[in-house]
Amino acid sequence: MKLEQNSYMFDMVLFELQDIVGKDYVSIKSSDKEVYSVDYFWIPEMWHDRQKGRDLTRPSADFIVHPANAVEVSKILKIANNYKIPVTAWGGGSGSQGGALPVFGGIILDTKRMDQIFSIDQNSMTVEVGTGIIMKHLEWELERFGLSTMHDPASSNCATVGGFIAHRGTGVLSTKYGKMEDMIVNMEVVLPTGEIIKSLPVPKTACGPDLNQLFIGSEGTLGVVTKVTLTINKIPEVRKFRAFIFKDLATGLRVGQRLMTEKLQPAVIRLYSEDETKEVIHKVLGIDKKGAYMVYGFDGRKEMVDMQLKYAYEIAEEEGGEDLGEDLGLQWWNNRYKFFFPPYMFSLPQCFGTLDTVATYSDIENIFNAMKKVLETKYPQARFIGHFSHWFNWGCMLYARFIIDTPPDDPHEMLFLHNSIWNDALRAAMDAGGVLNEHHGIGLKLSRLVPELYGNSFQILKDLKKSMDPNGIMNPGKLGFGL
Amino acid sequence: MTTISKNNLDTIKTCRYCPMCKQACPSAFISYRESDTPRGRAMLLHSVYYGEKEYTASAIEAVYNCFVCGSCMSWCAGFEVGGQHIPNMIRFARKDIVKRKMAPAIVEAIKTSVLANNNPYQIDQSKSFSESVTEQKAEVMYFMGSEINYKNTEIAKAVIQILNKLKVNFSLLKNEPTSGKMLDMLGYEDEAIVKATELFKRITGSGCKILLVSDPLEYDGFKNDFPKWGLTFAADVKILHLSEYLAGFIQSGNLILGKTNEIITLADSEFLGRFNNVFEAPREILKSSAGENFVEMRWNREKLLSTGEAAFTFNDRMFTQGDKLGEKIGIQANDIHCKRIVTLSATAKNNIGNHAGIEAIDIAEFIAELI
Repeated sequence: MKLEQNSYMFDMVLFELQDIVGKDYVSIKSSDKEVYSVDYFWIPEMWHDRQKGRDLTRPSADFIVHPANAVEVSKILKIANNYKIPVTAWGGGSGSQGGALPVFGGIILDTKRMDQIFSIDQNSMTVEVGTGIIMKHLEWELERFGLSTMHDPASSNCATVGGFIAHRGTGVLSTKYGKMEDMIVNMEVVLPTGEIIKSLPVPKTACGPDLNQLFIGSEGTLGVVTKVTLTINKIPEVRKFRAFIFKDLATGLRVGQRLMTEKLQPAVIRLYSEDETKEVIHKVLGIDKKGAYMVYGFDGRKEMVDMQLKYAYEIAEEEGGEDLGEDLGLQWWNNRYKFFFPPYMFSLPQCFGTLDTVATYSDIENIFNAMKKVLETKYPQARFIGHFSHWFNWGCMLYARFIIDTPPDDPHEMLFLHNSIWNDALRAAMDAGGVLNEHHGIGLKLSRLVPELYGNSFQILKDLKKSMDPNGIMNPGKLGFGL
Repeated sequence: MTTISKNNLDTIKTCRYCPMCKQACPSAFISYRESDTPRGRAMLLHSVYYGEKEYTASAIEAVYNCFVCGSCMSWCAGFEVGGQHIPNMIRFARKDIVKRKMAPAIVEAIKTSVLANNNPYQIDQSKSFSESVTEQKAEVMYFMGSEINYKNTEIAKAVIQILNKLKVNFSLLKNEPTSGKMLDMLGYEDEAIVKATELFKRITGSGCKILLVSDPLEYDGFKNDFPKWGLTFAADVKILHLSEYLAGFIQSGNLILGKTNEIITLADSEFLGRFNNVFEAPREILKSSAGENFVEMRWNREKLLSTGEAAFTFNDRMFTQGDKLGEKIGIQANDIHCKRIVTLSATAKNNIGNHAGIEAIDIAEFIAELI
């Protein structure tokens, strides 16, 4: 249903929403519509930036609603179904993929009022929280008890737990502690038609398919997660780091693979390509070396960590690494968020994007080279850098970036160039055994490529979507699902 | 329209899409709205100053919802390289909004009250604490500020008690006028300068050598705004917060406080601490009494959470949300099992109030109890 703000139907729907959450928690203010029309996705940012003297608009919500709990969410979704109004969940609004953008208008469902910490169970080492809590606020609370989820991305300053669930987020300690999806014990979810359900009390059962997996990574298209129980950990006794320079990326990848497959259980491995070492590491950490910079870290009991560091050092030494010592490793850790603050972060008018993907050790270097080649041959105006930040027993994640310092001024031309780069780079990645994304999600940015990624198995997801969301109201236009 | 400085333009540009300080913004804690975040405000201002759009009423409301506490700055890792002074950006925007004659009705009402009554509460001047003052020449001039003069007179009484005990020769100003600080914070710089000039003449005319202030906002005004307006006190006139003044007495042994066995903590002031770097003087005073029973809250000094000192309006009403801010601080105090939070402004004391059985007490009252 399309709503004109000067129509009485607009006011009728507004009244129903106010009746649920209270007048203070529904906004139709132009300031909110403007600010909620841009998340951290480059395209709406660029569109907003270039509005001077141009007739450019951005899709915006009709209503911004702040429900307090699952019951209120349920009522909102029932109204939305009644009038066929799109609903887009918004947590911290810090997603880079446009997942929280209200591209077809309707209702923005801001989850941040659902920010309670319900219980901390130090016996089971779990915490139950509302998914609207900003991750940093949760961590502050857990830290009082010497605990942490160990989910530690830079965006924990601004992103919500629900947002991390929606796009399968990850953090800097994921190599040991897992991604957000690995930390979930159970969830409360409001389905698109308004039913409130709970998944089983624990995962790892033999009771059929895991309902958690239906919603993790579904980016608000299959319902709204309102509460979650997460695993927590004791803050370790020590956390130590060491940094090395390796002669090239291939050597660094080999070291990372050995650290993982020889089961040393590192908490962090971060490997930078030669170009990123030169560009970013030099700028942020002041390290001026040629080669591929790596930092690894271990945490836990002191004696165990020292043992792990000893074995890791042996591997690095065997592979010819130049030891930069503990201090330069610790310096990386202490500045790990700095890369995301101005002036270190890339920013408009630059055109840039993070082309993250994940693959097996056998494929990842080929993927890196394939993406690099596409960029260098088809888009010589772009720089390509990459680092490898999340590691698994079978492979690792590539956090690649393209940067164009002086892109075209015309926004339409710029959007075309931006999307062309994404298409070409990710198709090269997929051809070489990679996937569209590892932890930022699909959102609007990559939605058009999802059918290509899944091939004929995408029909399964489409059928699921149709069954769960028959009116197609939940976050339309994302994750490959149309309106 | 007012000309915008390069610094403010840079702040707008740097912050307009960056979400990295959201966890620190106290106004966002209250409304949960994106327009009440530093990023949201910068983005709205970007539309005006880069996009050449007109101000909307709701964008103006977002500008006035900012607490100007600088919490965003303390949390920004990029700040070290000299950028992103969001409070200055907001103060500029308010000036420009006023110049465009677009200030919200509640802000206009505060201005009218301050100009008419020397306070924002629409309380007649005859009901002020300073109405009954007999002025005299004295070395020390104690300036209360309107919140103490009209609402929290117990703080003034505590200060007077302390000064009398220390046998300090001091005076107050009869019918103490406004310093213009609140006017300036709301964007009425011209009116603020007029009021500041009047006050400046009275203070310099008194011959005092120490201008003693217990309100951090007023302290910030005297220290930073007055010189900017050409109102510079003579070199031998010191502007001191009460804590700085009394810390001197403690250091010289002329002020000895009784011991307190209660666990106490300090709620840092954004205007005294974050903007003027006064962190140690209050601590010195409290530690002289409490010793190891003085315990820091987790978020202290530059990383303090706002106490709402400059949170004059919110959602187009006189600020009524102080309780929610106070609750956050009360929770921290509870964590450290303290029984008393010592505050540095009447606003902080009122906002923190009495949460979870913890008492908020102004530093003057704390000292007066133990002197």
